[in-house]
Amino acid sequence: MPDNDWKTRLVACAARDAAQQPLVTETPHATKGSVLEVTVPAADVVAAARILDNAVFLIEAVTGVDWLAEQQMELVYDFVQMQTGERVTLRARVPREKPELPTISAVYPGANWHERETHDFFGIVFSGHPNLTPLLLPEDARFHPLRKDFAP
Amino acid sequence: MEEGSIHLEKQVDVPPGLIHFSKLDDILNLARANSLWPMTFGLACCAIEMMATGASRFDMARFGCEVFRPSPRQSDVMIVSGTVTRKMSAAVVTLYDQMPEPKWVVAMGNCAISGGPFIFPGQYSVVPGVDKLIPVDVYIPGCPPRPEALIEGMLKLEEKLVGYRRKSWPTVEAK
Amino acid sequence: MSTDAQAIHHESFIVNLGPQHPATHGVLRIKLTMDGEYILDAEPIIGYGHRMHEKMGENRAYAKFLPNTGRMDYVAALFNGHGYVCAVERLAGLTVPERAEYIRVITCELNRVASHLLWLGAFLVDLGGFTPLLYCFDDREKILDLLESVTGARLTFCYFRFGGVCNDIDDTFVNGTRDFVKLLRSRMPLYHDFVSTNIIFRKRCEGIGLLSADTCRRYGATGPVLRGSGVAYDVRKQEPYSIYPKLDFKIPVYPECDCMARYRVRVDEIVESLRIIEQALDQLPAGPVMAPKVPKILKPAKGDCYFNVESARGSFGIRIVSDGSENAYRLKLRSPCFSNMSLFQEASRGMLLADALALLGSLDLVIPDMDR
Repeated sequence: MPDNDWKTRLVACAARDAAQQPLVTETPHATKGSVLEVTVPAADVVAAARILDNAVFLIEAVTGVDWLAEQQMELVYDFVQMQTGERVTLRARVPREKPELPTISAVYPGANWHERETHDFFGIVFSGHPNLTPLLLPEDARFHPLRKDFAP
Repeated sequence: MEEGSIHLEKQVDVPPGLIHFSKLDDILNLARANSLWPMTFGLACCAIEMMATGASRFDMARFGCEVFRPSPRQSDVMIVSGTVTRKMSAAVVTLYDQMPEPKWVVAMGNCAISGGPFIFPGQYSVVPGVDKLIPVDVYIPGCPPRPEALIEGMLKLEEKLVGYRRKSWPTVEAK
Repeated sequence: MSTDAQAIHHESFIVNLGPQHPATHGVLRIKLTMDGEYILDAEPIIGYGHRMHEKMGENRAYAKFLPNTGRMDYVAALFNGHGYVCAVERLAGLTVPERAEYIRVITCELNRVASHLLWLGAFLVDLGGFTPLLYCFDDREKILDLLESVTGARLTFCYFRFGGVCNDIDDTFVNGTRDFVKLLRSRMPLYHDFVSTNIIFRKRCEGIGLLSADTCRRYGATGPVLRGSGVAYDVRKQEPYSIYPKLDFKIPVYPECDCMARYRVRVDEIVESLRIIEQALDQLPAGPVMAPKVPKILKPAKGDCYFNVESARGSFGIRIVSDGSENAYRLKLRSPCFSNMSLFQEASRGMLLADALALLGSLDLVIPDMDR
């Protein structure tokens, strides 16, 4: 049975800002690509992915953004609901010195390749990933080209 | 070695034939020039134009080079159609080594010539030209080259083999 | 079973398929663990066509990245450009004249037909039939002629600009397109006679390469692959962009989940695309094709934007993170082939090798789009 209550449960999952408000923005579709943007604590991405999986969301992409000035790495997960076209973007931040967060490939097997790609490009470690080896880069690559301080 | 070039384990060097039979060689070359067998070797965008050249409208069969072979051991022209990446470079060299002599290489498109539009400061993945890996006989510029350009390239290769331009060159009149 | 028989049963060997193999459509490599003719495990090894478009997006000004979009999925090059210009326009708050939107849709749909024709030819070559390729290329060349007359390129189009398109279409193009639509429509029965009813083709496709809708969803497969599994997901309908809401067209869906269903979806999409082109030509308004006063150097406001278009292979997404400078801070390209390919390892388990290649062909892969 599809989960109809996914939105409330996802918001309950979200990280809180200083004023204890959940970090959620809901934007109309025409002005921004996503309907619902939820920032979750890095440890909770699996729980959030499970909520979306129960609500029959399709995984579109997993990617990273390197925020060099803030010394953080941001993870961006895009999901779309196939029937309604609703979009959810999950965001999570990890410190740049130790970019590590749990994998969602047990929930969404399609995340396996996306996470390997993100590991290639940013060096973000997905703990519990079954096969975190270079995917697009050569097998012996030891560099992460999309880091802002990358120099070949 | 210049910057950006790739170290190969062995230098690829094509030895010239030990014995030459001047007139027999001419005849053999004429036969070779009129039945070049390219290898089916699509790397990127140019491969689609290579397919188009072999297909109905442009029909490379008119010049005897339509027999695309999937195996390097049966082919004598390698059309490098597309970007050669560092990950791919070892396979390109292996394929070249597997082709029987005599063999020729056509670098089709800007990527195969020099890395094309994909060379920028910080590029780590693209080989700046296939001639860094294997000797190239004909370069065909374009991104991607039109099928006419590929046919012209093959005719140039024929010219290189026999020493003169194909006699029955069809003329095209502009509309 | 005796221990000896078990030992024989578990004798497996590894076959390397690619990176140079005609059935992989480019530089894809698959490490196959085989038990006789049956696949125990097929691990795709990709990245042989990796050219790092995303880094180029960060290094170049927005307009300078435009030619790159034509070189990712080069078989359906206009869609990538469409996604990219729409994302930048949304970020920079540009509006596009209506005529330009119509031209974009007309050229994109022509490109979709060309892409599906190429797929049809190449897929049948994979299955061992060479003749349809020649027919498909014959029709495809006519589309390329039309597109060349407006875009100036045959394959790697760079036609869309921020705020419009770079060339207006003329009567020659409009009439030529109308003629072509008629011609291709009259050719469709020929393709059906040739292919759809061919017994060898049907035996190679029907019931082969089953992908359930849930597998597609969990792997993120979109486009004809998902619609061949009975899910009517199409970005043009679910999240309408450009002028698609004004046009009347159907989304072909087949619930059989096999290679034949994916074939039927694509063939029906050709017919639907022709309908879209005709309607768009009928409604084509007059007016400019470029928005006035588009700055030469765009500096969109800070923020990020995700935009999806329905490419010939599925949902092509582009995420641009802008820091207010003239280069993008981060450019993420979500290519449909990447997700479509990722399900191959699971789907091919236990299949015959020849059937797995039919499945691979029916996914319609463009390797440099997958590797980016």
